[in-house]
Amino acid sequence: MIRVSGLTKRYWSATGRAQVAVDDVSFEVGKGEVVGFLGPNGAGKSTTLRILAGFLGPTAGAVTIDGHDVVTDSFEARRSIGYMPEAVPLHPEMRVVEYLRFRAELKRVPRAGRRVRVEEAMTRAACIDVANQRIGHLSKGYRQRVGLADAIVARPPIVILDEPTAGLDPNQIRDVRQLVRDLGREHTVVLSTHILGEVEACATRVLLMHHGKLVAQGPTDEIRALRGGTTADLSVRGDAAIAATILRAVEGVVEVARVGADDAASDVAGLLDGQAHGYVQRLRVGFAAGATVEARALGVERCVAALVARGLGVREAHPSGGSLEDVFAALTREAPPPEGGA
Amino acid sequence: MTSFWPIYKREMFAFFVTPLAWVLIVVFLFTQGMHFYLLVDQFAHNAAELGGDETPLSAFFGNTVLLYMVLFVLVPPMTMRLFAEERRSGTIESLMTAPVSSAAVVLAKYAAALTTYVAMWLPTVLYLVILRRADPDGQLDWRAAASAYLGVLLVGAGYLAVGLCASALTRSQFLAMLFTALVLLTLFILGVGEFVTSDGTLLHDLCAHVSVWAHMNDFASGLVDSRHLVFYGTMIALPLFVATRAVDAWRWG
Repeated sequence: MIRVSGLTKRYWSATGRAQVAVDDVSFEVGKGEVVGFLGPNGAGKSTTLRILAGFLGPTAGAVTIDGHDVVTDSFEARRSIGYMPEAVPLHPEMRVVEYLRFRAELKRVPRAGRRVRVEEAMTRAACIDVANQRIGHLSKGYRQRVGLADAIVARPPIVILDEPTAGLDPNQIRDVRQLVRDLGREHTVVLSTHILGEVEACATRVLLMHHGKLVAQGPTDEIRALRGGTTADLSVRGDAAIAATILRAVEGVVEVARVGADDAASDVAGLLDGQAHGYVQRLRVGFAAGATVEARALGVERCVAALVARGLGVREAHPSGGSLEDVFAALTREAPPPEGGA
Repeated sequence: MTSFWPIYKREMFAFFVTPLAWVLIVVFLFTQGMHFYLLVDQFAHNAAELGGDETPLSAFFGNTVLLYMVLFVLVPPMTMRLFAEERRSGTIESLMTAPVSSAAVVLAKYAAALTTYVAMWLPTVLYLVILRRADPDGQLDWRAAASAYLGVLLVGAGYLAVGLCASALTRSQFLAMLFTALVLLTLFILGVGEFVTSDGTLLHDLCAHVSVWAHMNDFASGLVDSRHLVFYGTMIALPLFVATRAVDAWRWG
């Protein structure tokens, strides 16, 4: 559906220096895939999506959408996509249904079926209850839904969503993610986000961008395994040395490190005196590299059981690691690291 | 070009659902109404003192600066938002990622502005009806009136094209407005130059050629000069062409 090879985009900054926003990126997206672009802000995700959507032209490289080149056959390429820009710009003076009818006409939805298509899109994007409200009066969540309805109104084979959950509250985020998963059944979906959990929740494949380069890609399951990390944090009441000895004996544990005093927990216990009995220590337990998520969870269970059996109190136990940085670190260990950057 | 129609409709909607067009039309009609009233009053009381060639009609459209003064004030706010607002708010991104051609976008926006401009002038046709009623002997020259309206249409069309082009060249509505006003005023001041430069010099000819004052005098007296047509044709086509290229150029910025 989407084929990108050697895509590069250079900007000329105000000072006259060329800035590389996207640097030699190549990937393919197959029919029916839900692909998530993941990366910190400024990694080049939006620029890449804008090029896919035909809003920007590539400095170098080729992009074909459904067999149509975005430069030489831009018109047909744009007919195959539904694009929701970042921050969802809309015309505030229009009513939702007016806006979507305008967009449907613009995207060549035949007049005969237009009314039905618009209603269908509003139903799927769950914004039909505000159909007659002015867009300027809508909440952020509803604006997002109108943007989604716009993206799917012409039933394009490919839907491109730039940061679809940015600025939403947790309930709205859950709704939008559900919607994206639903879209995945009928459309090829490409979305971008800087939140790891988002790709996990929606995408079947992840493309990781950093400093304009594609640093890694793979199925979401692999990313999820990496996100799990190989460590767990335990807050233990009792002697840290004894606890560490106990933990080292637990099956699957390869290393134990004292991270520090858990001041928050100690404070709760009212026992800030460092040497007193009941002092809460934070320990990090490392499991064998390559352990599965399930194996690590079992390991945490065994650690807790061992500590409790020996009379130590466990205040907290949870897997650690798995931030975006950790995943970057884990993934870029295999791929050649990007040179310098910025 | 199939995308022309929906964009045109949306632009018309944007003009008339917001107060902007209404405010502009009210200001315009108020000024023109005053102008017309004073003229007719003048002609009614001092007809003998005025030259025989002058009619309220020719004085309304020609031989006056009020006409252009109003346009200098009204055209820049009409065109400033056409592209600049969409680029500032980001809606240009949704617009340009739909299957539309740059030419269709430019022409649709231009046509909407021009339609609003025509709507602004339309009620002034009533003035002709009033003149006709007041003077049933039929001194009113309908052909001169038609040529005067052609002049008004051409001047407005040229000004709007300049304004649209300015709007496509900057993200700031304010700069677009300023730039448009500047170009229009420069053209007008060059026209005034006709009277301060000496006959026969190149500068004099140039000034006379671009003088909206001279153009409107001709149009108002029923003279449709092909040079004027070419001038305004250029003044419409060139900025629209530049605007289309500018819209294309955004992709490569």
